[in-house]
Amino acid sequence: MAITDDVLVVGGGIAACTAALSAAETGARVRLLAHKKSTLRQASGLVDVLGYAGGDGPLSDPYAGLEALPESHPYRVVGEDGVRAGLRIFDEAVGDAYRGGHTDSNALVMTHGGAVKPTARYPASVAPGLASSSGDTLLVGFAGLTDFDAPVAADHLAAAGVPFSARGVTVEFPKRFRADAKVTRFAKALDRDEDVDGGTVRSVLADTVADELDGESRVGFPAMLGDDRDEDVRAELSDRLGVSVFEVPTGPPSLLGLKLEDMLFDALDEAGVRIAAGNPAVDFEADDGRVETVIVDQKSRPTPYSADQVVLATGGLVGKGLDSDRESVTEPVFGCHVPHPEDRYDWSEPEAFDDHAFARFGVVPDDELRPTDEDGEPHFENLRAAGGVVGGADVAREKSASGVSLATGAVAGRLAGEEATR
Amino acid sequence: MKKSPSVLVIGGGSTGTGIARDLAMRGLDVTLVEKGNLTHGTTGRMHGLLHSGGRYAVSDQPSAKECIEENRVLRRIAGHCVEMTGGLFVQRPEDSDEYFEKKLEGCRECGIPAEVLSAEEAREIEPYLAKDIKRAIKVPDGAVDPFRLCVANAASAVEHGARIETHSEVTDVLVEDGEVVGVEVTHQTGTGPYVHGEPGEVEEICADYVVNATGAWAGQIGDLAGVDVEVRPSKGVMTIMNTRQVDTVVNRCRPKGDADIIVPHETTCILGTTDEEVEDPEDYPEEGWEVDLMIETLSELVPMLAEARTIRSFWGVRPLYEPPGTGTEDPTDITREFFLLDHADRDDLPGMTSIVGGKLTTYRMMAEQISDHVCEKLGVDAECRTADEPLPGSEDFTVLRDYMDDFGLRSPIGRRSAQRLGSRADEVLNSVDPNPVVCECEAVTRAEIQDALDTAGTDLNSVRIQTRASMGNCQGAICCHRMANELAPEYDEETVRASLDDLYQERWKGERHAMWGTQLSQTALKHMLHAATMNRDEDPAAADADIDFAAFDDGGASEGDASGVASGGAVADGGRERAADRADDDALGGADGDN
Amino acid sequence: MSDAESPGNPTLTPDAQTDDFEAVEVFPDSTDMDLRPGADNCYKCTACDVSCPVAEVDDEFPGPKFQGPEQWRLKRKEDEAVDDSIMSCSNCMRCDDACPSGVPLSQMHNTARGEYVDEQMDKLSREYIRNRILANYGTLAQLGGMFPRLANAVMGNSVVQQINEKLLGITAERDFPEFATQTFREWWNERGGPQVRSEEKRVAYFHGCYSNYNTPEVGKAMVRVFESFGYEVVVPKQRCSGTPMFANGMLDDAKRAAGINVDNFAGLIPEGYDIIASCTSCSMSLRQEYPELFDIDGIEDLSAHTYEALEYLRIHEDLEGAVREASVDDQSFAYHAPCHGRNQGLDRQAVELFRQLDGVEIEDVGDSCSGISGTYGWKEEKYDKSMQIGADMFDHMEHAQGSVGMTECPTCSMQMEHGTGYDIKHPLQLLEEALV
Repeated sequence: MAITDDVLVVGGGIAACTAALSAAETGARVRLLAHKKSTLRQASGLVDVLGYAGGDGPLSDPYAGLEALPESHPYRVVGEDGVRAGLRIFDEAVGDAYRGGHTDSNALVMTHGGAVKPTARYPASVAPGLASSSGDTLLVGFAGLTDFDAPVAADHLAAAGVPFSARGVTVEFPKRFRADAKVTRFAKALDRDEDVDGGTVRSVLADTVADELDGESRVGFPAMLGDDRDEDVRAELSDRLGVSVFEVPTGPPSLLGLKLEDMLFDALDEAGVRIAAGNPAVDFEADDGRVETVIVDQKSRPTPYSADQVVLATGGLVGKGLDSDRESVTEPVFGCHVPHPEDRYDWSEPEAFDDHAFARFGVVPDDELRPTDEDGEPHFENLRAAGGVVGGADVAREKSASGVSLATGAVAGRLAGEEATR
Repeated sequence: MKKSPSVLVIGGGSTGTGIARDLAMRGLDVTLVEKGNLTHGTTGRMHGLLHSGGRYAVSDQPSAKECIEENRVLRRIAGHCVEMTGGLFVQRPEDSDEYFEKKLEGCRECGIPAEVLSAEEAREIEPYLAKDIKRAIKVPDGAVDPFRLCVANAASAVEHGARIETHSEVTDVLVEDGEVVGVEVTHQTGTGPYVHGEPGEVEEICADYVVNATGAWAGQIGDLAGVDVEVRPSKGVMTIMNTRQVDTVVNRCRPKGDADIIVPHETTCILGTTDEEVEDPEDYPEEGWEVDLMIETLSELVPMLAEARTIRSFWGVRPLYEPPGTGTEDPTDITREFFLLDHADRDDLPGMTSIVGGKLTTYRMMAEQISDHVCEKLGVDAECRTADEPLPGSEDFTVLRDYMDDFGLRSPIGRRSAQRLGSRADEVLNSVDPNPVVCECEAVTRAEIQDALDTAGTDLNSVRIQTRASMGNCQGAICCHRMANELAPEYDEETVRASLDDLYQERWKGERHAMWGTQLSQTALKHMLHAATMNRDEDPAAADADIDFAAFDDGGASEGDASGVASGGAVADGGRERAADRADDDALGGADGDN
Repeated sequence: MSDAESPGNPTLTPDAQTDDFEAVEVFPDSTDMDLRPGADNCYKCTACDVSCPVAEVDDEFPGPKFQGPEQWRLKRKEDEAVDDSIMSCSNCMRCDDACPSGVPLSQMHNTARGEYVDEQMDKLSREYIRNRILANYGTLAQLGGMFPRLANAVMGNSVVQQINEKLLGITAERDFPEFATQTFREWWNERGGPQVRSEEKRVAYFHGCYSNYNTPEVGKAMVRVFESFGYEVVVPKQRCSGTPMFANGMLDDAKRAAGINVDNFAGLIPEGYDIIASCTSCSMSLRQEYPELFDIDGIEDLSAHTYEALEYLRIHEDLEGAVREASVDDQSFAYHAPCHGRNQGLDRQAVELFRQLDGVEIEDVGDSCSGISGTYGWKEEKYDKSMQIGADMFDHMEHAQGSVGMTECPTCSMQMEHGTGYDIKHPLQLLEEALV
């Protein structure tokens, strides 16, 4: 017998979690069907709503840029209300762990390469180190961690015109690890405050950095200052140094992204959403224009899940919600139409940072976020889509990735929940 | 003391550096000029095959004989540049038996060791061969790294007193009294130990003899000298697979045609190739049908190629030449033999000889012949020793080490590093501490990158060529900014950024030919990392307009966050709650929403 | 370039070539597998590295991304270059669960480990001998099961434990699990086999070493619960599922055991039986590692028909309904989802199910690894690491309301008890209490 729910959300990333939370708010019985861990682990952990649009940017007011986006952009479909709804759900789910909700304006955050980027929400540990706030800055990197070169990053910030002085130093981590130790090892050592020669990891690190300080009012590290006890770690370092301590978001592996993933799943648990994780949705059964069941491959055995309403939030090219071969681009679960140029050489441009067609690949939503076919008709009455699987947005260049996921997730989830509980 | 005669060699590919080494070892005063980096031309864009000669055993036996001879020499003198993979000529059911037998006979006639294998035996060597192949011929093909080979020759030449000038383009051939006396070079922008001129600086270099070893560009140099050298450049595609589906060179046993070879190369396989004549060796179309052809045809030999991941494709241009009047139409049929064109004899212009045609496998022989010729012209009596002395890096070394003990490296990483560095491994791998891995896909450590920077200056593409960093499955997504960071602190941040952009764009060019399937997902991830997370596409440091920082969220003074700790004071309240923490607050047994 | 051909020259005619030929057995031994193509799926997202509990506490462990796709891709076929850090991988398989791109990580790790043990490990070394012993727990348990009281006395003796540590490298910190005075199979035979017969509802029980020799109450619970739903339960002859063997690179041992299991179970499938395992590592092994590593006739079928006990009832019966109507004495549990259960998508089932059982409070102690990972935590040089990995779980258990632990995996159960002193139950035992 199939396991039955009101709303089935297929996916496990930020869009899927938002859709599930949003659907749960309507009182519907919601189940999340996640496959693997989400792409948040590769992302910086920041929540970008809109940083660049219509040739302008960085935008200090993301809402001002919405109108400049093309008609087919998901933001134009859900409107400013949709964007705000997504942010509301996010803010409630993460609580104090993220900042930026006190204003509509974007903040400017340092990147681990030393550039500066606009974003709408940032972790509490990043807040003291905003590039759009003042304070002479010391950046600290570690010799064995090649992704973050503090002196280069500091010089880059200066070249970017930040309104404060920035200096970078490379130091030894208090514990001598093998050169290819993972970043989680460093974070654990800080969490547990392991013993080292001359004290503990935190105290010795503070001593090392104190030697380097020269009047700066804040010190930034790459985002590895602990995982479970991150607030303890940062507070202790800050106390010992007598200055603010902040984290610089990084690329993969991103501990900030990992923590955000944990927060979202905690919120799902609290909202009573059921979660079935670990196996992929591979097929479906439909009747009379409605999806009846979604079939999950449970270790080579098909297991059916049925629901009144379904939200597809499986991700884009990175999340593997979109597939491709030498000829075409497809959506593998429901076979939704994904428009793409016929010649695959038109999927990208010769210049690396140009407006690539592939960056906008995805399903085409109607005004209820239902994926449509070549004729513009929804594939299924009760199937909606959210997040990276939805096309029309160049989230990499616009700096809008999380925002699109939040907005479409919130709206698709609410519509699905409302329909199911009607 | 009588001054040694001076020779000017134009062209920094395998032929040019081979000639420079040979003549320098014979005591001549050699200068080599190359308009780009070493291996800028065909040498840097070939499929890495060390021929056994099998491919020419039927159609071009003189070439075949040269190949097998040099195959043996290179194995001896260039151990760290060569991998003896062995080769197979595989016959499918639709390929003719007649040709198979011709091939076998041809190999024997040319002295190429050849052994017939049954399909079963062939598939024991290469399990991924198609199940319905008929049989195969085993030959001693190998895989060669052309970059390492070239760099080693150049290093050897310098050891023997030669002068090497890269980024020095020949802009005129100097002729006085009807004789070639030297060249005029214009220095280009570039860095590295072989760059001595200022960009834009024009220099005249005089020499007793000039050798034109510019391959596909031989005609252009000829024009500068006022002679006709009709090279017929022909392009060929090389499609690079992400992993090694085969560890042996796999050839199709049928008359030479497109898409008939798979060459294992380092961590990848290279599928080749096409043969289309082009006008300009630097400007020709790179076409998708060529990539599709490689995959579709070669999956007839190795079926998994149809679905396997490619990481990029690139093109090279062959410097084909045939004596005027031969009139061959299809470039596939043009001989691969090499020719010495003494312009004194054919054009009444003494002082210069061009060397055209040939292939990388026979570079040393070509160099020997032309060096003999030059020495004869200059009245120098000296023997060629290039076949006897190993190249730098190929002196006695073994890859059977305990890499953790010797270098603190994991086995596969140590092994790959030692394979690249050869006898220099100890010197290089112990030179830096800590020595983290910079390029994880290709196992390149910081020490090796720093060593490569000694000869590359700020040119990360040159580092890439030497070390293979950014040539793996992520095509630099994860490592190219790490590579750039290695330029600091010797170079300033602006230079670091510019070098990163160059490398990134260069990787992008070839990646576009592989953007589907997992590689498209890889590209999308790379794009997200560099644009969304790092904002390199809208880098304010590169922008014209200034940002008004004050217009943005400054964190909100009301947060009361002077110490940077979560508001609310006590640390235990800050940050996120975990389910277990919440369990204290509300008994989970009664969560709503499930029934 | 004439068409020179030497007619009738025998050297030109290849030998033994016909049109029909046998496909070459490409992978006669599992250690001959070439998993380099698995690296094609890796797009370097590092999701696996951040899930690895060993990398988090051990800086000498380079993580699953290196052990799997990177190491394989760097190999040349004949290279004997598997890094010895592969022996520090605990085979918890959390990396599999994390990879968004379908890289066959644990398959690559298991195969590399098998290769390492085969080609690079000294068979006379203490490490090898110790690992062989631990991997073949089933055989040892057989002996212990014959003389349970004696075995318990001997293994429980602290001098013996010290000798084990000094001589073999088996940690003295842990108490050896006790042997039950009557094994599950002995009980089964004594009661006369199945007490319920059915044409349509039939299951074959794969009890695993532990439920047979150490905690037969779990096996008994399984039988009673399934019989109460009307199932005919049979208990065929069986060997160890192989989990401890994979983790120690003893792939030949595992293959032998697999062959016997396939022989005994696969034949039941056409008769309508499904295979039920109560240990999540057993079900994991039968469902994933078996078809990945061994090419045995019938193994795919076996894999497709294997279920975990609770999972089976959730799908085939109205288990939730039955539970909702039942009630038990008040009790409070701290549940830990085993890593191998997580991979089968089973990490939420116990909590979501028992929340609805009147009288029960149950909470999940978080998604960390327990740290013992089967034989891993028994090795003297790994003991500290296993306790460090489990530290988070111990914290959460102590923090939680319940003072009884619950989990489906026997070694997790050992770890939970070792770290907190709690009693540990299997979900089947609670089900038995509620429904039988």
